[in-house]
Amino acid sequence: MGGYLARRLAASAVTAFVASIAVFLIVRAVPGDVVAQMLGQVSDPQAAASLRGFLGLDQPVWIQYGRWISAVFSGDLGTSWTGGRPVGPAVFDAFLVTLEIGLLTLALATIVGVPLGIVSGIYEGRWPDNLIQIFNLLGLAAPVFWTGLMLLVAVSSFAGWSPPLIYASPAESLWDNLSILMLPILSLGLLQAAAYSQFVRQNVVTSLNQDYVRTARAKGVTIRILFFTHILKNILIPLITFMGLVLVQILGGVVIVETLFSIPGLGRLLISAIETRDYPMLQGALLVVVVTAMAVNLIIDLLYSVIDPRVRLS
Amino acid sequence: MSPISSPLTPAMAPRETSGLVKFARRLKREPGLLCGLAVMALLLVIVVAPGLFTAQSPYTISIDDALQPPSDAHLFGTDDTGRDVFARVIYGARVTLLICAGSLLIAALIGGLVGALSGFFGGWVDQILGRIVDVVLSFPPIILGVIITGVLGPATSNLILALSIIHIPMFFRIARSGALGEAGKTYVEAARCVGLNEITVLYRHVLRNVLPLVLVQYMVLFPLVLQIQAALGFLGLGVQPPTPDWGAILQQGKDTILLAPWISLFPGIAVLITAFALMLTGRALQRSSDRR
Repeated sequence: MGGYLARRLAASAVTAFVASIAVFLIVRAVPGDVVAQMLGQVSDPQAAASLRGFLGLDQPVWIQYGRWISAVFSGDLGTSWTGGRPVGPAVFDAFLVTLEIGLLTLALATIVGVPLGIVSGIYEGRWPDNLIQIFNLLGLAAPVFWTGLMLLVAVSSFAGWSPPLIYASPAESLWDNLSILMLPILSLGLLQAAAYSQFVRQNVVTSLNQDYVRTARAKGVTIRILFFTHILKNILIPLITFMGLVLVQILGGVVIVETLFSIPGLGRLLISAIETRDYPMLQGALLVVVVTAMAVNLIIDLLYSVIDPRVRLS
Repeated sequence: MSPISSPLTPAMAPRETSGLVKFARRLKREPGLLCGLAVMALLLVIVVAPGLFTAQSPYTISIDDALQPPSDAHLFGTDDTGRDVFARVIYGARVTLLICAGSLLIAALIGGLVGALSGFFGGWVDQILGRIVDVVLSFPPIILGVIITGVLGPATSNLILALSIIHIPMFFRIARSGALGEAGKTYVEAARCVGLNEITVLYRHVLRNVLPLVLVQYMVLFPLVLQIQAALGFLGLGVQPPTPDWGAILQQGKDTILLAPWISLFPGIAVLITAFALMLTGRALQRSSDRR
């Protein structure tokens, strides 16, 4: 286990390092001069030079990168260029909001998707399966922001209710917090539930067709016992892997629903940092997104190897 | 004619069935595939000749007709400048679908070819390419799209660039593993022993076997690229107004969503139906390729 852990950690560290360079370079691929944009109409070369010096932009790119990454290692993500707020705490606050949406979405998707997939797999080819499969395809085909918009229209015109306009943290008011997060979580969760259900169905069908399951059935084992003793155990491992995939997908989807519903999470932070050309904020937020996605994958891989030791050998 | 009659009587001889008949039988067996192909055929006609479906222009502004609900004159209603939403959705199909198809084609060509070469030749180049692909895949696709189009500026060329970059690694992986599997097979070894050079083996055996994998992947990824394209359009990072594009129409309808939900409703349904049809077809294709 130790060797496997070390190997996986090393591989992730290399990927994270290259990703951090990629993040840094992407941000600097902005066409045009950022300093000129910041100064606007006033084109005073001296002011531009001193601002460039102040922001460290007069240095070669690799020195800028070196400064940034060494500060990151000491826990300092820099200072925002707009508003002068430290990037670290800003990104952390936004991360907590996104994390809440992500975990609640994952919970909703699991609770809805897994049972649907199991039912669908057991009734393969019959009407419950067909019905659930149509749900799956519709859920996967619907654009997440469109589902969100339509849910908003539906609740406001049919129930006369609309979510609060100003975000409230769970500490301020749990009720307001949940009412503002309800629609984004529902629209993201529906999509991921469909993905879950599709995946679980496939696995149930595969395990039902295994020889030993057929033998057990022929011996007269009831489907219920069969399900709990054989099938559930077999779908658990792929399910955990899939959970990681879903979490990373949710991380992407939140960018859209956060923008749509004006929720101050990582996604909206990224978009506003792009709009204002706020390099340090953009780098910090992007780095946190990538590292989170990688950490999820790493944890899933490790969990997988704990459950199924054969993985470590390959 | 040989005097000895064939051991097979005509009744026992395998009946020749043409490919078309086989295909028709398959469509009858799989209503999902039939449905998917029918919608895709309709979309193709819309893309080629949108004028057949609507006489109205997607650009004509008429402030007096702003925010009209769906009616006989405007099937899908009008937007905030009085443009006909039906015409915008119909003409938007061409813009949206061509951008998706084109970006995915670029990704398939680059990712497929580089992946096949990387898997076939292996070595340190393969190692480095694999690492780069890992890095690109460590970004959630939509976030990568937002960053590229956001940083480079919203323009159709940047949108195509972003969509291609997102999907290259996915084609790379499938082509690489296909080529790797094929390169280890006995017949490839035999071809080498016979004295065929590497290029011939690569072209005649490996690439030909990787191509179907890439084609299936193209179909499977199409709904995904459509969703990402629409999402970027919705965020204002895709096709710019006044060009009709499904995601862009959705974005324009966002501000008046409670007043005029039809502006956003119909382009969303267009994305939904298209993705649905593509998924039905892609799944049928994948099933037959798995059976092979």
